[in-house]
Amino acid sequence: MARTKGYPEALEKKLHEQRFFREDSNPEFSKKVKTLSRTIPHMCYQCGTCTGSCPSAPRSTYRIRKFMRRVVLGLENEALTDPDLWLCTTCYSCSDRCPRDILPTDVIMTMRNLAFQRDIIPVNFLKTVTAIYASGHGVPNNDVNRAARERLGLTRDPPTTHMYPEYMPAIRKIIDHYKLKANADRIIKEREG
Amino acid sequence: MAEKKSTTKKTESKKDTKKVAPVKQEVKKQAAAPAAKPKAEEAPAKSPIDNLAKAEDARIGVFICHCGTNIAGSMDIEAVQEAAKTFPHVAYVDNYKYMCSMPGQTVIHKAIKDHKLTGVVVAACTPRLHEPTFRTATKDGGLNPFRFEMANIRDQNSWVHMHDREGSTDKAKDAIRIAVAKAALLQDLHPKAVPVEKAAMVVGAGVAGMQAALDLAAAGIKTYLIEKDMSIGGRMSQLDKTFPTLDCSQCILTPKMVDVGRSPNIELMTWSEVHEVEGYIGNFDVTIRKKARGVMTPKEAEAKGIVGGGCNGCGDCEGVCPVIKPNEFEIGMKPRKAIYVNHPQVVPLIYTIDFTSCVKCGLCVTACGPEKRAIDLEMKDEFVKVKVGTAILATGYDIFPIENKQEWGYKRYENVISSLEFERLICASGPTGGHLVRPSDGETPKRVGFVLCAGSRDNTGTGKPYCSRFCCMYSLKHAHQIIEKIPGCVPYIFYMDIRSFGKMYEEFYYRIQDEGAKFIRGRVANIIEDKATKNLHVMADDTLLDRPIDMEVDMVVLAAAIQPAADTNRTRKLFGVSCSSDGWLLEAHPKLNPCGTTTAGVFLAGVCQGPKDIPDTVASAEGAASAASIPIHMGEVELEPYFASCIPEKCAGCGMCVNLCPYSALSLVEKDGRTVMQVTEAKCKGCGTCGGFCPGGAIWMNHFTTPQIVAQIDAFLLGGEQ
Amino acid sequence: MSESGINHKFAFYLGCIAPNRYPGVESASIKAMKKLGVELVPLKGASCCPAPGAFGSIDQSVFYAMAARNLVLAEQMKMDIALVCNGCYKSIWEVNHKLKHNKDLRDAVNEVLKEVDMEYKGTINVYHTAELLYNDKFIGVDKIRDSITNPLTGARIAVHYGCHLTKPHKDREFEKEVMLNTEHPVWMEELVAALGATPVEYRNKMQCCGAGGGVRGYDIVHALDITNEKLINLKEEKVDALTDICPFCQLQFDRGQIEIQEKFGVSYGLPVLHFAELLGLAQGMSPQDLGLDLHAISCEPFLKKVL
Repeated sequence: MARTKGYPEALEKKLHEQRFFREDSNPEFSKKVKTLSRTIPHMCYQCGTCTGSCPSAPRSTYRIRKFMRRVVLGLENEALTDPDLWLCTTCYSCSDRCPRDILPTDVIMTMRNLAFQRDIIPVNFLKTVTAIYASGHGVPNNDVNRAARERLGLTRDPPTTHMYPEYMPAIRKIIDHYKLKANADRIIKEREG
Repeated sequence: MAEKKSTTKKTESKKDTKKVAPVKQEVKKQAAAPAAKPKAEEAPAKSPIDNLAKAEDARIGVFICHCGTNIAGSMDIEAVQEAAKTFPHVAYVDNYKYMCSMPGQTVIHKAIKDHKLTGVVVAACTPRLHEPTFRTATKDGGLNPFRFEMANIRDQNSWVHMHDREGSTDKAKDAIRIAVAKAALLQDLHPKAVPVEKAAMVVGAGVAGMQAALDLAAAGIKTYLIEKDMSIGGRMSQLDKTFPTLDCSQCILTPKMVDVGRSPNIELMTWSEVHEVEGYIGNFDVTIRKKARGVMTPKEAEAKGIVGGGCNGCGDCEGVCPVIKPNEFEIGMKPRKAIYVNHPQVVPLIYTIDFTSCVKCGLCVTACGPEKRAIDLEMKDEFVKVKVGTAILATGYDIFPIENKQEWGYKRYENVISSLEFERLICASGPTGGHLVRPSDGETPKRVGFVLCAGSRDNTGTGKPYCSRFCCMYSLKHAHQIIEKIPGCVPYIFYMDIRSFGKMYEEFYYRIQDEGAKFIRGRVANIIEDKATKNLHVMADDTLLDRPIDMEVDMVVLAAAIQPAADTNRTRKLFGVSCSSDGWLLEAHPKLNPCGTTTAGVFLAGVCQGPKDIPDTVASAEGAASAASIPIHMGEVELEPYFASCIPEKCAGCGMCVNLCPYSALSLVEKDGRTVMQVTEAKCKGCGTCGGFCPGGAIWMNHFTTPQIVAQIDAFLLGGEQ
Repeated sequence: MSESGINHKFAFYLGCIAPNRYPGVESASIKAMKKLGVELVPLKGASCCPAPGAFGSIDQSVFYAMAARNLVLAEQMKMDIALVCNGCYKSIWEVNHKLKHNKDLRDAVNEVLKEVDMEYKGTINVYHTAELLYNDKFIGVDKIRDSITNPLTGARIAVHYGCHLTKPHKDREFEKEVMLNTEHPVWMEELVAALGATPVEYRNKMQCCGAGGGVRGYDIVHALDITNEKLINLKEEKVDALTDICPFCQLQFDRGQIEIQEKFGVSYGLPVLHFAELLGLAQGMSPQDLGLDLHAISCEPFLKKVL
């Protein structure tokens, strides 16, 4: 950890050293990201092709290049707690153009997975889980649509889990295997009461 | 040196005259039971098969090198030494910090004398590095140099098993035991000397090929300079100025081109290609295809009895030619006729007909007139055979097809051009007379973006993984040129690193920055064209500001990667030269033999070996010329005596080996009324293809004989149990 | 070739947004593809693919297992999958591809599937209907052109390719190599031209719609600003409609225009149609049969031009 200067807490915080202290980095983080993402983030040479390609970069502080840098240096906390982590639209433009043949998008997805392990996750992601747990669909059917479907000569509910709810137990079993629903419910409750 | 040489020669000739076919019985015995004691030798020098060393008489010395800590740091030298003492035939073991040093070598030749050694094993680095060193030491100790065997305990052991001390120690013991087993059976071998033709060939007449040919010619060597294009000068003649001195490229190149044309020792063959290569160092028989150029030189005309005729470069033919095609020299930005020259300063100034577009209307023939009669529309390709002692490949490079990197829109957006196109546009003799204009509307650009590493340092498989090495510098030069020529024009250089490594290069970078070039540290992600204005939006990340940028410019220049010239692969195969995975021709050793190749007598000059700027290219060409002149000046070369030998008694004359030999070294001959195989030793590289195949076991691979290899395998398999 | 004129049968994987928001995409796909000799058979009990942005961000393992369950349903039918959504393609195709090539992954997934009496075997392939339409091994541009009864003559139509069908191209395997071009592809334009319409190029065509990766849910304004950039570029070309091959992109462009109007005060009125809907129109289906009235942005101006 960074050394403390022995100032009063408020002053210590204000004059906090921003320099890169080696003690702050976690080399295991780099290795873990590399393994889980099945790509080669350690090969990043910081050319910026990713950020230059990124549709999110011009309208936010999200910099995929910086996330790649954090992986290279093992800056786990900095990477996982940055709210910009959730601004990647997964368009894969960076992955298509990266001259080092890295898939930065998959690196972001891996870091999101690792963030979730620390309960860091926007609630909307979890709501998709609860929706799928309930009906098998992230975007479920509704009455207006049922009527429209009938008019188009389709079944009121599509021949998915909507029409065959007997398939739902298996889906719930799979999600429960990973305790995903329980975790989602817990986190949503913590955030929204 | 000269004295040494003559000694070898004498021994060699002695051997040649005394060489007789091996006695059948003896051969059988040797091949079947390597460890069995052969009959005592009567004569000291008979067939190589006769004087096979007798394992039981062998006294082998083992010398273990520490290589500083390279070896000693990863294994227990003491333990290795103790183990070596127990191996069969080992008469002496020693170790030293640096076996290759003078004191180390002294240890070896002293031990040979003191302990009456018959063979030497050095356990150290690799034969590639120090085989010659230790052979000399063996010779100095009074043994035949081929009585030396190396055990590689560094590159293949201590370096790769750096963290496994026990394992590497055991492996070193194995390696030495195997080497000792072979050393006990090593024979005296004598290199063969062959005469060297006093002529050389240079393939490719760009600046590298020209320089190499000029140097060889100046050293008094007849040199054939082969160029596939119609005139010489190569890529350099397409450039406007050169960095960092800003000399005009043509101005410094033209004198060399003229010298090449004038040199009595250079036989320049343009519009020609190497068609076939046979032979070996000292004696390459090269067939050259002189492509039909449809126009005769004055010399060729004279040979046909047209005195005072032939092309004088007047250009009357070009004037009347009705065919219009894009000029490749100007990268299609200027028209040319079907009969044409690349540019006004060409050497040789001889017109050429592009027969793929010529309509054979005959107007040029009429225009040329009855005196010169230079044009022959029915001309056919001709094949010319020459003999040379050595050859230099200087086949150069092409621009990588940068349209393959689609994100930058080359060939899709009019105002995105390649760096070579920029050279022609900024050049006074180019298609626009030196005015840089936008291809879309002919307007002068005010903001120009430069995309560095366009296809270089690219591991996607589309581009090139290497640094093309001169793009940074010529882009700085381009920036200078537009600042100088177009007042108010700003160059924006998008870079990852500026690699200004050469003499006065960093200073040049300083100068261009001072002149007003803007440097943006970020690789260009993509380029978007404004359909209405044809302006370009360069999308990148200014990594230093940490801000994505969308910069609108009038024009973009792509500093495109380079790749080996189109015909390189065909040419290199003719000469038996390897290439690395990126296609560049492979030198014998990147540091210690950068101009040589693994084919003796064939050398590399310039960019065909890998990206080089002009100074490095010329330096490499001079190096290659020097290296290629050595065998010629020596008059003869020694060949490694690893060639195959035929045991006529066993040979059935089936001829399978003759077809298999990649070097055409084998032939069938009549001997004592039988058809048997004969080896042309100078052509044989000792690859072993024939020996491995021969169904009758009639082929004997010197220095890699079956008994030697079997002994090595036994030593490994039986391990320490012996 | 069978007597019924059906040459190929696929298990039709619907996903969520197509059946539950744009049912016309579902009905048009079934009917139009049938005319072209391809039968789409319902894949009973399929669930969400699951959403690659949302689910993939949370836990890749669950993502793989959930997608594998859908794949196993098709394996049990012994049919290749056809689907109409880029997002679904990302989940279903990519998981299928990775499971086929990575034993460790496959074993891990099967460990979980065992609990629900299923086993992933890797016996089927996954196709996007756009791929089936373009590849003459299945249908091809010529066959589409021949099937048209109501050519969309005079309509200027721009294409939104979306991201997840073709990107990342280094991980994709298409029989038609032009589909691997993710910088300047024109194969969709060929399909549009086959319907008699005029395909229109526009600036930064390959840019994302902005909705993916959970961003639509996480920061709607951010997502809409990306969408709006595309709409500005499209407006410059005065196009009559935008066509897509991804119901999620369609949702973002269609409903997104309403949201952009609400949040930024800018309106475009640009009709957004899935290519299946366009194909249905060109083959003579009525706008009512296609449920075009369910679109947030009225398709009327476009329909007036082509009907």
